[in-house]
Amino acid sequence: MGVADRTLRSQGRPLLNAIINPIALYLLIALAGVGVCLALPRKGPSPQALGGLLAAAGFGGLVLALTLWANESGAIPNPYFYVFGLVALGAGLRVVTHPRPVYAALYFILVVLASAGLLLILSAEFMAFAMIIVYAGAILITYLFVIMLATQAPSEDMIDALADYDRQSREPVGAAVAGFVLLAAMTTLLFRGIGPTEAGDHAPGHGAPALVAKNDASADAALLLRLPGKVETELRELGLMEHDEALVRDASGALMLDPVAREAVVVEPDGTTRVVSWPEGELNVQNIEGLGFNLLDEHPGSIEIAGVILLMAMLGAVVLSRKQVEMDEEAKARQARRLSAELQATAVERRS
Amino acid sequence: MMDVIASTLAQSGWPEAMPAPTLAHYLFVSVAMFAIGLVGFLTRRNLIIMFLCTELMFQAAGIALVAFGRYHLDYNGQTFVIFVVTVAAAEAALALALVVLLFRKRESLSADEWAEMRG
Amino acid sequence: MAIELQQLVQVVAGAMALGADAGAPIAGGHVSPGPAWAMLIPALPLLGVLIAMFAAIFRVKSKLPAYAAVACLGAAFVVTVALWRQLGGGTQVIHGWDWIRFSWGPGEGQTFIANFGLYVDSLTCLWMLFVTGLATLIALYASEYMSHDQGTGYCRFFAAFCLFVLSMTCLVMADNMILLYLGWEGVGLCSYLLIGYFYKKPSAVAAAKKAFIMNRIGDLGLALGVMLTFVHFGTIEYVQLFASERLQEYLALVGEGRLSEIPLQAQLIPVLLMIGAFGKSAQLPLYVWLPDAMEGPTPVSALIHAATMVTAGVFLIARTFPVFVLSEWALPVVAWVGALTALLAATIGMAQFDIKRIMAYSTVSQLGYMFAGLGVLTTTGAAFHVFTHAFFKATLFLCCGAVMHGMAGQLDLRKLSGLMKVPGWRIVSLAMLVGCLNLAGFPFTAGFFSKDMIIAESFVTPGYGAIGWILLITAGLTAYYTFRVFFRVFVGPVHYEAGDEAHGHDDAHAHDAHGHDAHHAAHGDAHGHDHGAHSHDAHGAHDDHHAGEFHPHAPGWAINTVLTVLAVASILAAGVYFVNKPDHGWVGSMVHDSTAHYVSPFAHHEAAADGAGHDAAHGHAADGHGEHATGHGDEHAAAHAGTFLGMNPHEVMYYVSGVVGFLGIGAAFGLHYLGRTTAARSKADDLLPLLGPIPRWAQNKWYVDELYDFLVRIPLWVASHILHVIDKLLVDGLVNLFGWLPRAFGSIVRPSQSGVLHQYALGMAGGLAVLMVIVLVVLR
Repeated sequence: MGVADRTLRSQGRPLLNAIINPIALYLLIALAGVGVCLALPRKGPSPQALGGLLAAAGFGGLVLALTLWANESGAIPNPYFYVFGLVALGAGLRVVTHPRPVYAALYFILVVLASAGLLLILSAEFMAFAMIIVYAGAILITYLFVIMLATQAPSEDMIDALADYDRQSREPVGAAVAGFVLLAAMTTLLFRGIGPTEAGDHAPGHGAPALVAKNDASADAALLLRLPGKVETELRELGLMEHDEALVRDASGALMLDPVAREAVVVEPDGTTRVVSWPEGELNVQNIEGLGFNLLDEHPGSIEIAGVILLMAMLGAVVLSRKQVEMDEEAKARQARRLSAELQATAVERRS
Repeated sequence: MMDVIASTLAQSGWPEAMPAPTLAHYLFVSVAMFAIGLVGFLTRRNLIIMFLCTELMFQAAGIALVAFGRYHLDYNGQTFVIFVVTVAAAEAALALALVVLLFRKRESLSADEWAEMRG
Repeated sequence: MAIELQQLVQVVAGAMALGADAGAPIAGGHVSPGPAWAMLIPALPLLGVLIAMFAAIFRVKSKLPAYAAVACLGAAFVVTVALWRQLGGGTQVIHGWDWIRFSWGPGEGQTFIANFGLYVDSLTCLWMLFVTGLATLIALYASEYMSHDQGTGYCRFFAAFCLFVLSMTCLVMADNMILLYLGWEGVGLCSYLLIGYFYKKPSAVAAAKKAFIMNRIGDLGLALGVMLTFVHFGTIEYVQLFASERLQEYLALVGEGRLSEIPLQAQLIPVLLMIGAFGKSAQLPLYVWLPDAMEGPTPVSALIHAATMVTAGVFLIARTFPVFVLSEWALPVVAWVGALTALLAATIGMAQFDIKRIMAYSTVSQLGYMFAGLGVLTTTGAAFHVFTHAFFKATLFLCCGAVMHGMAGQLDLRKLSGLMKVPGWRIVSLAMLVGCLNLAGFPFTAGFFSKDMIIAESFVTPGYGAIGWILLITAGLTAYYTFRVFFRVFVGPVHYEAGDEAHGHDDAHAHDAHGHDAHHAAHGDAHGHDHGAHSHDAHGAHDDHHAGEFHPHAPGWAINTVLTVLAVASILAAGVYFVNKPDHGWVGSMVHDSTAHYVSPFAHHEAAADGAGHDAAHGHAADGHGEHATGHGDEHAAAHAGTFLGMNPHEVMYYVSGVVGFLGIGAAFGLHYLGRTTAARSKADDLLPLLGPIPRWAQNKWYVDELYDFLVRIPLWVASHILHVIDKLLVDGLVNLFGWLPRAFGSIVRPSQSGVLHQYALGMAGGLAVLMVIVLVVLR
């Protein structure tokens, strides 16, 4: 935390200048925007590779600037971040720029996988796997099926032919301007809004005390009280509990366990009780457990609603995509005549 | 086994919060991905690819949410992503059904085919 | 049974109350609760309305609605007779239900009460007797007359007819002015509906609108009068009003001749009420609607012009007479307007050729007599004339209707002649004769007595001698034009031509254009007029829309019965003059017991002639009305009572007006009967050129309609066109500007609504980006 930073803060100015010169920032964003714009499919000679390079340079420069700044405060992100992040961005660019829908869908799977990696780095392993299963496994397969249904080549020798609407993107410049102005605005916000707003709270783990208090270590550890099975199993695996021993509950039915002091009361088969304490670092509450408790404790109604939404979506999809045969009255009558004639014919046949 | 992978990949061990500069990295990836998805949505004419771009934007939002949750040590970020994924799935189902329907009517996936909404 | 018992108890109680309160100074006698069954009188016509309505809904094609109407109205008449029999000279109030009652403070005049209640005194009974009685007869007549229209129109006719009677009942029997106003408006509405019965005929629609609008002008006066009454007296209920201290105080002032001390507000009330009465009773300057109202079916004309609607104005003045004496010029105005209307209408009537129209003008004229009678303080004379006029004018109209019905809409007296000799028309002719004699004031007919009473009284009352002369002259003119009709149409050589309706609707002969008549006249000249009895053959070419020859069909039993009854009643109406003679006949005694009673201070001649018994017998009533009995601002009344050329008018007038009547009839006889060989021409036509343009002016109704056009319609037309331009340019321009602005703006931004999804999405994204940039820049 340099003196210059503090001075800037006291004046209420953003940290932007400390991280990156705004002109450089906007230039980089413009570079990325031009790159994306060039990479979009178009008729005639298409400088897609050049566009990709420019976009990579722009995004790479921005990430580099961020890293330099992080290095200053000693908070270099996990190296896998660079791998997954750049893969995700590159694949995303391909999703947008690839003229063939099938390839776009496949690149999107790559995006999903890379994002899952990012989520894993963020210790959100449940989300990572859920993302892969739901997106890559279910949604994208549906996309592919629909692509197969809807994108048929007109004939066999034109199997490689692209549809007109795939070959040419629409208003790439306007769209790129809109998208990247938005990106510039959000990045500006990001670079100046993130970071300490008060002196002294820049230290790791104290970004936003009021919010952190909810799920800090002690609060997480308190969840152990609601996980008797996990506690017993892990204590036995640690050798702190025998197989014939059990955890003790008080009169109200709560486990007699102190997660902060890492102590639990167990009862032996003969009825005598003893206090067990486990070493620090053991018997942690996993992310998925915390997530489960959060989901079901705080959002049960939302889960119900989500279920209803899914059901309705399913019904809606069935109803919408059902094959609708439109027949006028005459056609119905014709159909009926045809059917009755057929029936008569079969009856005659059978009789003969 | 999972623990091993997780501890290898995880930033600095759960449940310690990550520092703000690192959060900025993730948010930048998220924002960039969102912008790319937006540009794609605005430029591509193929209805399916447009929907893929919206999925891309959903992904970006999900990453931002999880990163914030990690920063604040709050599970609600992840919980929210679960609902986002739910809605995305429902949206994908309906959207694809609609795409099939529209394709049946016009034998084309071009969004420009459906420009009769003008007032 | 229970009702009868209750009635008995009430009668007894009323009689006892009468005895106990004898001499109480309440104008209009002694108020006591009346029998509840009196409510049947408005209820029965309502029943008739409902029956006719349901008949219309179920598309009844028979004469059911007509007979239901006759039955309901007849029952109402019977109930009225019963009500009258049990009344016994007092005043009864029957409270139906609370209708309007609201209060905005505890003080006097801060509670507005208008109940649905009936105020029954002998004046009410007099009016209701002939209203319901004549309505019954006319409904019976109409059942035949309207039979060509059976179906929905028939139901509509009788529904409106019964509604008319219901409104009239409300008007006459109301115990407050609001209910009276309701009936007043109802009568106007029904007359609109009935005049415009043939709504496919433009002239009928125009006449209906004319009647309605003319009535509206009068109604405005009445409404203002009612409001002012409430503002000034704090009540609009008759009982309260007549008993109010304020009114008694004013009447005392009138008695002392100190009229100028009465506040202007109170003096304004009768003027406003008077305007209402002028509108409804077709007096100058609002009389023009009544002749046009002939566009309606004839029974309607009979109902409106003979019996009910037009007498409402007379009734209003008679009913609120104590209020009318408060203003020093209200009654003189009434008298003068009445007299001038009588003269004007008579002169117009002399020059018309449409017999129904002549009758209409005679109605206006006779109404003028009634108003003049009210104005010269003989309420009895006015009421008596209303009563007799109701019978003979109904007779006359129904006779005209019979002619019209039988002659396919022919009403032109130049095309009809000698009907008495045509088989089947004898009853009509005789009834017509009776009606004409009455109208002409032939000695010893009802019209003779009632008209005399008014003329004589106007000579008696000082300062009104001129009115007396006008009325006397008018009487002569009346006799002339009445018998002009009779001598032209019913006697003389037989001749008839069909109207332009071969037994279709009754009055397609629209009379809206004088050119029409002129055309007929010219036609008559061209074809010669010395045809014999069956000259209609010669008109075959003209009447080519008739299939073959025209055969008039004589009236059927219903019309003949009604005409007979009415003619007999018209004759008998004279008899009531001799019943209870000291009170000027039965009608006089009826008026005597009501609010309309007004003992003229100049009546002493009559009283002296009749002997002292009069005062003795009615001393109590005279006491009761002592306040206003003493005069119309003239304390030396007796000394200055007017005379007719130095003689007692009441004694001389019988002979004078008899002579005048004979003169008129003689003139008609000489000019229109003697030596007349054709229908189209008479001796009068030879004499007309001597009078210069006057006959043509009279035939064109003295151009009053044109005058109104010039005075009212043309200025309004000009003003409306000016305003139209202003409206177009300024108001519409402003409004259109506000309409145009969004359009213009819309045409600027409309291209953005291309319907292309991408453009919308781009707009959203771009908008979001711009918004974020703004937030960043502004909120930095």
